[in-house]
Amino acid sequence: MLTKLSGGRVYDPANGRDGDAGDLYVRDGRIVADPGPGVVPDETVDLSGRVVMAGAIDIHSHIAGGKVNIARLLMAEEHRAFPVEAEGLCRCGGGVASPSTHVTGCRYAQMGYTAAFEPAMLPSNARHAHLEMADIPLIDTGGYVVLGNDDLFLDLLASGAGDEAIADYVGWTLNATRALAVKAVNPGGINAFKYNQRRLDVDEAGPFHAVTPRRILTALAGAVQRLGIPHPLHLHGFNLGVPGNVEATLDSIAAADGLRLHLAHVQFHAYGAEGDRRFSSAAARVAEAVNRRPNISVDVGQVMFGQTVTASADTMAQMGNTGLAHPKKWAMMDIECDAGCGVVPFRYRDKAFVNALQWAIGLELFLLIDDPWRVFLTTDHPNGAPFTSYPELIRLLMDRDYRLARLAELHPALPKHTILGELKREYTLGEIATMTRAAPARILGLSDRGHLGPGAAADIVVYTDRADRKAMFETPDMVFKDGRLIVRDGVVVALARGRTHVVEPAYDPAIEARIARHFDEHMGMKLAHFRIAEDEIRGGDGLARHACRPGAF
Amino acid sequence: MAIHKDATHKDVVCPFCGLGCDDLTVRAAAGGLSVRSTDCPIALERFAQARPAEPPRAGGNAVAPEDAVRAAAGALGASRAPLVAGLGADVDGVRAALALAERVGAVVDHAGSEGLYRNLAVQQRTGWIATTFAELRNRCDLLLVVGPDPAVLHPRLYERWVAPAPAYREPGTRAVVFLCGEPLERTREALAGVPVTVIPGSAGEVGGAVAALAAALADPAGVTDAMGALAERLRAARYAVVAWAAAAFEGAHADLTVERLVGLVRDVNRHTRCAGLPLSGYDNVVGANQVCTWQFGVPLRTALAGGAPVHDPHRFAWARFQETADAILWISAFRPEVPAFPAGKPVVALAPPGTAFAQEPAVFIPVGTPGIDHAGHVFRGDTVVALRTGRLIDRGLPDAAKVLNAILAALPQEAAAC
Repeated sequence: MLTKLSGGRVYDPANGRDGDAGDLYVRDGRIVADPGPGVVPDETVDLSGRVVMAGAIDIHSHIAGGKVNIARLLMAEEHRAFPVEAEGLCRCGGGVASPSTHVTGCRYAQMGYTAAFEPAMLPSNARHAHLEMADIPLIDTGGYVVLGNDDLFLDLLASGAGDEAIADYVGWTLNATRALAVKAVNPGGINAFKYNQRRLDVDEAGPFHAVTPRRILTALAGAVQRLGIPHPLHLHGFNLGVPGNVEATLDSIAAADGLRLHLAHVQFHAYGAEGDRRFSSAAARVAEAVNRRPNISVDVGQVMFGQTVTASADTMAQMGNTGLAHPKKWAMMDIECDAGCGVVPFRYRDKAFVNALQWAIGLELFLLIDDPWRVFLTTDHPNGAPFTSYPELIRLLMDRDYRLARLAELHPALPKHTILGELKREYTLGEIATMTRAAPARILGLSDRGHLGPGAAADIVVYTDRADRKAMFETPDMVFKDGRLIVRDGVVVALARGRTHVVEPAYDPAIEARIARHFDEHMGMKLAHFRIAEDEIRGGDGLARHACRPGAF
Repeated sequence: MAIHKDATHKDVVCPFCGLGCDDLTVRAAAGGLSVRSTDCPIALERFAQARPAEPPRAGGNAVAPEDAVRAAAGALGASRAPLVAGLGADVDGVRAALALAERVGAVVDHAGSEGLYRNLAVQQRTGWIATTFAELRNRCDLLLVVGPDPAVLHPRLYERWVAPAPAYREPGTRAVVFLCGEPLERTREALAGVPVTVIPGSAGEVGGAVAALAAALADPAGVTDAMGALAERLRAARYAVVAWAAAAFEGAHADLTVERLVGLVRDVNRHTRCAGLPLSGYDNVVGANQVCTWQFGVPLRTALAGGAPVHDPHRFAWARFQETADAILWISAFRPEVPAFPAGKPVVALAPPGTAFAQEPAVFIPVGTPGIDHAGHVFRGDTVVALRTGRLIDRGLPDAAKVLNAILAALPQEAAAC
């Protein structure tokens, strides 16, 4: 069946289209080229005057896995206060900051998102994460596997394993856990916390495995490059949330030494320790460093105000935050010689200076980083705010008057500590399409997503162009997933199943003997049982593989 | 019906107690299954329970599978307050049970959730610091076991997770302390060579003992008894693990004992590293709870009757709600046992062949056991690791998910209650 979507204003940055009116053709779930005048479409949808973009892609959102379930348990009050009734095809559930799987999939799709990626999948918890992601309807998913605090990796590094062996181990792990990318969380720090160390400097050797965080970081970034994984090393950096941590952030950028590096939720890592409150914005310094180095990309991890829950593998940082828990309860877990997880409920208050400045720092970063291909729209859901606050965030980026009005409502000391009031930039629709569609697909290596050229999956979103950008992005008119209309005017009209995006880098299988010995001697589990089989992902139907290109990056 | 190929299966995953043993050797022969590689009484008993298939029954009479499904759908469809419980199934079975429960507006719970819930209640109220099996095995230098020896429920706990030398700790530094629980003989054997201290006490004294220990930890001055010495050892440890099996605690408010343990762990962390290890996990109770939590945002003991999920650990515990329910769907794929339910309400039971009933259920549909008849996902008791079981024999039995999906399909096509 051939469908023609006619006359829409198409924002498709990957193919150089910036709002010009044009037609799109969809056949069998894919975008196809204009079949020419002789072919009559089976169906024509008139989109004259509407804004058309590819489905949005969230590059960093904690949607599944053990820590998300712990967050749901801790957020018992939220689930009592915000139950969600079944609505048409969307099953019942609940939660805002810690939504259930159907609520997650439905809310994403209702906002025009067709993919979201879990950025902290522990190897030992990967099977759980995949089982849970399969229960999220409508959107594509995938996971970034967490390395850099696992004892085997640290042991390999400390015992002088070469770059090749390290890359083989990373490649094996990506295959075994069915992951899309590699994430490092506070490299070395989570492991050090297991030895009661509450801080670890970038050049300080760990308490048990004598390797420094810098060495871990460069080894992982190098392995990712060697394996040709499209997405650069996804780094949750050092000293998250600590005033003055900008130095470690800039140091990480320097340590990458030209290798590609993605700094996750960089807002939480762009803090100075200056001024009368010993807490200051270092957004300008971070933005300047990012602007200067094309090997660096970031997602922001914008803070928005209200109740949320923070969930992270970074037990070292999260343990330091437990005193700020709201409500006053929190959970920490040391996990399986892999990493850990820390879950701390938190309320960002607009009248609190620190929270207001965090909000401003995030917006400064968005507005100061020039290249929308290298800065991604995230709230680090749910750590900075639930993903449902994206439409509000888009309005803040696109509408300076609105931004200034919000700024005026916040803590009175804020204007003296942020340059936000002076920043005139307003994001264009084309730039929003870049940062939420084209760029995420490109940096994850999803060649058939995030754009509307022939061959792309027909994940398409249609909006009415409204001056109120929040309203516009909150409720698209139509959302198509793989060519099928799944949402109309905010109502889910069909339940599509998502796919799970993975890479399968080549590696020397000789490394398996070393890993198998580790499993036999220490892990109380057989390597064969650790590895996730293809048919375990969405019942064997829905794995989407993406090419690795060794040496290409 | 039974198709047994003589075979010896190695590295078999055992899905029963939650320890996640995946190293079993199981012999399949005409006489059934026998475990050859371990003396674990749970594994020995449970694998040996695989009996030949039998036909489904409705009203006590053998019926065709589709008739049994129709009878089950009839009983559940007519119900106004059904209970869908037991939930002894792999992840797919639990998914199917929850979907069915949503449709008919049921209360959902797992047969073994009492012990789990003593822990969950505390996790929800206060949070905690916890750890996993491989952390225990490789990093722990002091294991404090509180209450009755968990090896009664999890026989290979020490053999697999405590006796091996820690990989990421100075060698020879591990010691084990038992508080208010005498170690079993098999525990002492497993821990030969590991220094063991026993501080005696009964199960009923656990709460008080932990309170005394917490007090000694806070203020060591003048505490000269065993608690003072133990507090000192906890402070001096590099990575202490406090383990307990809440199912073995006594009293109606055993969650308060768990809360004290969790508080103790938090206190020790002010001095050094320490983590709790709440043990549970029978018949994939942890997996059932994980699926329920991710699908509905709330854990087990939830009603799916009124549009949105309502979680109430007291009201919707299956042992209580069975009195209120007007129909019961009980799923017990892991063991041929079903509780005796209050009389006068239809019971639909999905359980392995050979299940004995105190009273013949309205409908009995024999199902296979994950790890014996079919592959399936089960969670380990430490909540992080999920395993995929193997498949050893073909008794021609459907898995629970398949039967549950068939029952759902046989119900009138109406909107879900929740």
